[in-house]
Amino acid sequence: MLKKLAKSGKSRLLSNPSKFSSKREDGQMRYAARALGWATKILWIMIIAFSVTSVYSAMNVRMGFGQPQAFVSSGFIVISVPLFVNNTGLYDLSELNMTVAVMDYNESLLSTSTTFVPLIPRGSSIETAHNVSMSLEDSISKLLNYLFNDTVFNLDMSLKLNFAHSIPFKVSTNMTMPWGAPLYNFSIGQVSYNFLNLTHQELITPISFENHSPYFSVDGFMRVEIYSDNGELLGFSVSGLNVPSHSGYDGQVETIVDISKVTGSGEGHFYFETSAFSIGPVVMPYG
Amino acid sequence: MVEKGQTKTFARKFVPRIIKAALLVIITYLPLYFLSAFIEPFQSFFPWYAPTTNLFAAVFMIFLVVGVFTSGTIYQYVFGVARTLVTMIFFIYVLNGGIVALAVPVEGASVNIMVDLTVILAMIVLVCLLGIGKNVVQAIDFVSAKGETKEL
Repeated sequence: MLKKLAKSGKSRLLSNPSKFSSKREDGQMRYAARALGWATKILWIMIIAFSVTSVYSAMNVRMGFGQPQAFVSSGFIVISVPLFVNNTGLYDLSELNMTVAVMDYNESLLSTSTTFVPLIPRGSSIETAHNVSMSLEDSISKLLNYLFNDTVFNLDMSLKLNFAHSIPFKVSTNMTMPWGAPLYNFSIGQVSYNFLNLTHQELITPISFENHSPYFSVDGFMRVEIYSDNGELLGFSVSGLNVPSHSGYDGQVETIVDISKVTGSGEGHFYFETSAFSIGPVVMPYG
Repeated sequence: MVEKGQTKTFARKFVPRIIKAALLVIITYLPLYFLSAFIEPFQSFFPWYAPTTNLFAAVFMIFLVVGVFTSGTIYQYVFGVARTLVTMIFFIYVLNGGIVALAVPVEGASVNIMVDLTVILAMIVLVCLLGIGKNVVQAIDFVSAKGETKEL
């Protein structure tokens, strides 16, 4: 009977030795395997839970760029890109970094700027404008050309942030922004003279340009200085300007000049003082 | 008579395993199915996802079924390690080493999206390594238990 029991017990152990090992006193392996199994299961659950809630949160974050606007302010062309982020997700967004690089048509960098928002807590939103400034003060700069010639600016925009403080996320895009020159095709026509007296006469200078800018009107003053071929100042005049967006200016400037100094040709120096910009002199030959 | 007994043993041995394997396959396939259904609208952004997932699902299930049928042998743990390795390689491949980059057309412009999932991938790799470790420990335990049984 005992023999039979021993035999059957042995055969059961042989068929499944791992069952036998669980009864062993030195079953540390079994405990280690069990601990690893639990650790694996817990970690899988954590990863899946974090992934699912992250996807859910990411789908509840609304973010976008508005239509870029351009204007001229205190000698700078300012391109303003509206940005909004509405974080209705479950996790914070941190270290939001928005960078905009402005390039002209031949891809040369004009300006770059960065906006940094340290934290957007869950359930909150931000609305801000990212401004890129380009100086117009340097009259030799090619930027001055943008007042007289239409062009297209390329905007390279990128937005980086940390999702849930652990997942870096980056969105980048390219946009083009047409730039309409406010003094497009600025030119002076054939000058004429109007006799006043023996010493002075009136120099009539036809001036025309088109305000192609969709963003601002050209309103202010234009000062014109007329110089002879010898570089002598013949006279100057100031006239008002009020040219709305997408409209043209076709007028004339009357300048009283000294007859004795008139040489028939020379240069006109134009200075613009408007609400949007101040530039000058813009030198144009006449005669 | 002997043939009938053999059939009975075979049925007693394999029918539970077949049922277990079928259940495990269903349980494994369901999340993959739902994930595929969830990803479907964004399929054009992840063209590599569907074929890779199908291949992964097939290989994973083969290892799963074979693992169930070889339970009680050392091969159960060998296939367990293989299954975990396949899972690890799948996630490394699908998550592109942790950096997922997409180009989404929005109103004529192309918006590039880049997500750095290195942290999640590292966690997945860690869990897979733990799984491999578990299988190795179980295999060692199995072999030592078998050795002790033989000694008895």
